Amino acid sequence: MKRILSLTITILVLCTSHTLMAQDKMTAREIVDNSYETTKLAGAEATSTMTIMDSKGRERVRKIAMVTKLFDGGETEKKLVRFLAPADVKGTGLLTFDYEVEDDDMWLYMPALRKTRRIVSSEKAKSFMGSEFSYADMTPPNLDDFGYNILSEIEVNGTLCWEIEIIPNDEDIADENGFSKKISYIGKEDFVIRKAVYYDLDETLLKELTVHEFRLLDPENMKYRPVNMEMVNIQNDRKSFLVVNNIQFNPDVKDEYFTTRYLERE
Amino acid sequence: MKSIADFTVKFRWLIILSFIILTVIFALQLPKTKIDSDIKNQLPEDMPSRIVTDQIDELFGGTDMAMLMIETDDVLKSETLQRTKALSKKMKRIKGVNKVLSLFELKSIKGEDGAMIVNPAVKRIPTSAKQREKLRNEIKENDIVYGSVVSFDFTATAVIGLLDPDVDDIRIVAELQRIINETPGKEKITMGGMPFTRVNISKDIRGDMRRLMPLGLLIMLIFLFISFRQLRGVLLPFIVVVMSVIFALSLIPLLGWKIMVMTVVLPVMLLAIANDYGIHLIARYQEENFVGNDVTKEKLVKSVIRSLAKPIALTGLTTIAGMLCLLGHTMVPAWQLGVLAAMGIAYALSASLLFIPAVLAVIPKAKPILQGENQEGKVRFLERLLISMGSLVSRWPKQIIVISLIVTVLTALGAFRVEIDTNPSNYYSGGSPVVYANDLANEKFGGSTNISVVLKGDIKQPELMDKIHNLEKKLEELPEVGNTVSIARVVRQMSRALNDEDESGYDQIPQSRNAVAQYFELYSMSGDPDDFEKLVDFPYEHAQVTARIREVSTKQINRVVDYVSELTQDDENVQLVGGFATILRELAELVVRGQIISLISAVIIVGLLIALVFRSPTAGLVSAIPLAISMTILFGLMGFFGIELNVATALLSSIMIGVGIDYTIHFLWRYREEKRSGLRSPEAVKKTLTTTGRGIVFNALSVIIGFSALLVSNFLPVRFFGFLVVVSISSCLVGALVLIPALCIVFKPKFLEANNK
Repeated sequence: MKRILSLTITILVLCTSHTLMAQDKMTAREIVDNSYETTKLAGAEATSTMTIMDSKGRERVRKIAMVTKLFDGGETEKKLVRFLAPADVKGTGLLTFDYEVEDDDMWLYMPALRKTRRIVSSEKAKSFMGSEFSYADMTPPNLDDFGYNILSEIEVNGTLCWEIEIIPNDEDIADENGFSKKISYIGKEDFVIRKAVYYDLDETLLKELTVHEFRLLDPENMKYRPVNMEMVNIQNDRKSFLVVNNIQFNPDVKDEYFTTRYLERE
Repeated sequence: MKSIADFTVKFRWLIILSFIILTVIFALQLPKTKIDSDIKNQLPEDMPSRIVTDQIDELFGGTDMAMLMIETDDVLKSETLQRTKALSKKMKRIKGVNKVLSLFELKSIKGEDGAMIVNPAVKRIPTSAKQREKLRNEIKENDIVYGSVVSFDFTATAVIGLLDPDVDDIRIVAELQRIINETPGKEKITMGGMPFTRVNISKDIRGDMRRLMPLGLLIMLIFLFISFRQLRGVLLPFIVVVMSVIFALSLIPLLGWKIMVMTVVLPVMLLAIANDYGIHLIARYQEENFVGNDVTKEKLVKSVIRSLAKPIALTGLTTIAGMLCLLGHTMVPAWQLGVLAAMGIAYALSASLLFIPAVLAVIPKAKPILQGENQEGKVRFLERLLISMGSLVSRWPKQIIVISLIVTVLTALGAFRVEIDTNPSNYYSGGSPVVYANDLANEKFGGSTNISVVLKGDIKQPELMDKIHNLEKKLEELPEVGNTVSIARVVRQMSRALNDEDESGYDQIPQSRNAVAQYFELYSMSGDPDDFEKLVDFPYEHAQVTARIREVSTKQINRVVDYVSELTQDDENVQLVGGFATILRELAELVVRGQIISLISAVIIVGLLIALVFRSPTAGLVSAIPLAISMTILFGLMGFFGIELNVATALLSSIMIGVGIDYTIHFLWRYREEKRSGLRSPEAVKKTLTTTGRGIVFNALSVIIGFSALLVSNFLPVRFFGFLVVVSISSCLVGALVLIPALCIVFKPKFLEANNK
């Protein structure tokens, strides 16, 4: 009981400090920066379900288990994904090293071929596992690539949010990330993204991300993870849902998980 | 026919007024007319190949594409690649372009240092000759782009936009033109694809409508003036023509139809045919209005109508029947043309029998220009020609019959060489931008006419994947096929990236279902989810094998389609065989079937009509003879001149029967009249030729001259159509003026004899 109380106090203190800072004179860039900071979880284990739906409502469902851990003082996030279903891809593994600046490293293990292949791709606009989520949506971007503007403060599902416009600095960056403008709705209290709207290279509405639910996993450091989110492509009517069925904060995930050797162990 | 004559004269003002008011009402409909250049809409909706192709489109998205083809000596030069990249990027941003296929959008899948790398086919534009050659070798290895968006000889590259359904063609073409203008360079850029073809067709339909009609009218005015040398002789048939053209065209919006390529023939056709009835009336009017005939204008009009109403009505009916026989064609513009022409002629017929006499009964009697029957005077060229023709026929009737037979048999040989052609790219002659674009697409990018096979089943099963692979291979081996694509090809490309050359799985379909599934999973990690959209559907239940056919001749397309049908016939996985090639294949059958049905029904109906009116089956048979000969000559000439039977020329025969029979009817009618008045056969022939013969010649000449306006059409089939009408109507004319009289003299058919009254 005592522990819970102290935890609550810590949370309250942290929250207010954030809020105070915010109420001062935070720039749009600082808000976005903070928002990314809240997602940097030291380590976690989870199982999730990714549902991809085409315009006719047909579904592809993938169940995955995932462990993540931060390395290099938070600069690199390593991630191991293992497919649980459907049966034909069961055991397939994906190991990702997300670097802050460099292109990511990825390896895929295919059990049917007993083979690991590195995947090289520099395009962040590419779809993540065939879904409407792109790699750019799933991994922190290089903040220097964009310009930021606070448009207004607005309520999203009962939470007061900053409405922040994020614009790529040049056309190449826009191309690479697949949008000409993104508007993020970031909670004023917790810096957690509630919603984001993407505009394509012609500045027409492209996709809409809604975070239906998120969880505070590391209260000490105020780290959150979305556990239920939806991406709708307005232009082609496709939808993708990512639901985290089960997630455990664990800063002590074994380092050896994040090796190709482990990847090949089914 | 007395009643019609009395009626017209009595109610002349009412008749004139009603025709004017009606025509104005119809004219008000004209601005509502719309043009439809979509070739697909010409096809009957229940056509199996069209239905199947729509089903395939439903599964895999439409296949309509807009193309920019970039030509230069080496497309891998950096400035050309820069330009291509800019065009590709800009095209991607055009609204309505669903997906772009180009060197910068299509993928290269390759294996390097244990990694599978998925990148745009050209990721970095080479700056040195060394880099350029490296890229060249890479592209040669890349099945996905080599031969499809870059030509094998690297002299051309294409930027292809796959379009959303129902995109506005005019806007897409304008946008393409805009991005070309915005991206200047030395390379030659050619636009292609269906929207481009359709925009050109639309533009040329409009051009034809604007050009052919005034030209035809002008020729007609000159012709009428030369023939009759009297204002009423020029104006009255002319007004009837204009009224009937307005009426027929106004039916298009009224019936909810649209103008299609073949519709451009309609006004010209009416122009040529609709004045026939007026011409006969005027010719007879002038014939009876000789110097010294002092009857009143009313009496003169009544007499003309009395003697001509019946044959004119009969010739009108046979022409309408011939037009309606176009209903035997299932092609939308063909049967619509039949209905419109029939209605237009019906209107012209009633206007000729009511409006012209009504006007003649109102305006003062004309000055006589022909000499009276027994008076000496200057005989003009035409009359001289007809007189000598009369004596020729009466002297050597048997020889004429024999010569006709020989000529017919000789030309008949050509009929065996007639070929069928249904490809819309042949709407144009060489040198036109549409043909240039088509040829370029055929030569450099593997063709533009596609055939698709859809297989159903668990696509990830290696057995089915192997089947897809084998089918694609067989298609690829056909000499007519320029380019094939399937999911199996991509799987094999992935297997090359995932395995080393000495490994067992290299360049192979993996042998377990899980392995195939994991290949796709791997790809989804690095490629776009819609990269395979055209190859396999979302649930992996249907896969499509597409072959592009390089040749444009229907014969070669048919060969490919037949081969594919045979190949896939007994395969339980093959669900659909479709694509534009199968439509063209079926269209060829429809053209032939429509040709046969319309031809036979026209002969039968016209024969029956004549038999009925002359109350003799022999009459039907006799009049069928010049028709049969003209028909043989028509097909013979098509064979000799290499003119194909296509969607336009297939309409000819029944139109020709309906029009060409008129001359025979007029001849027989007058001939019988003269026989009844007591003349012997040779004299009756001479009399008929020099009197009604004049009207017949004017009539046929007006048709020939009218149709000759089609020779300047933008569309090749329409030009051929015009040429063939001119030739076949001439043969009908000669048949009616030479062969029929000869037959009458030799065989003396009973129905024409005096005692048969």
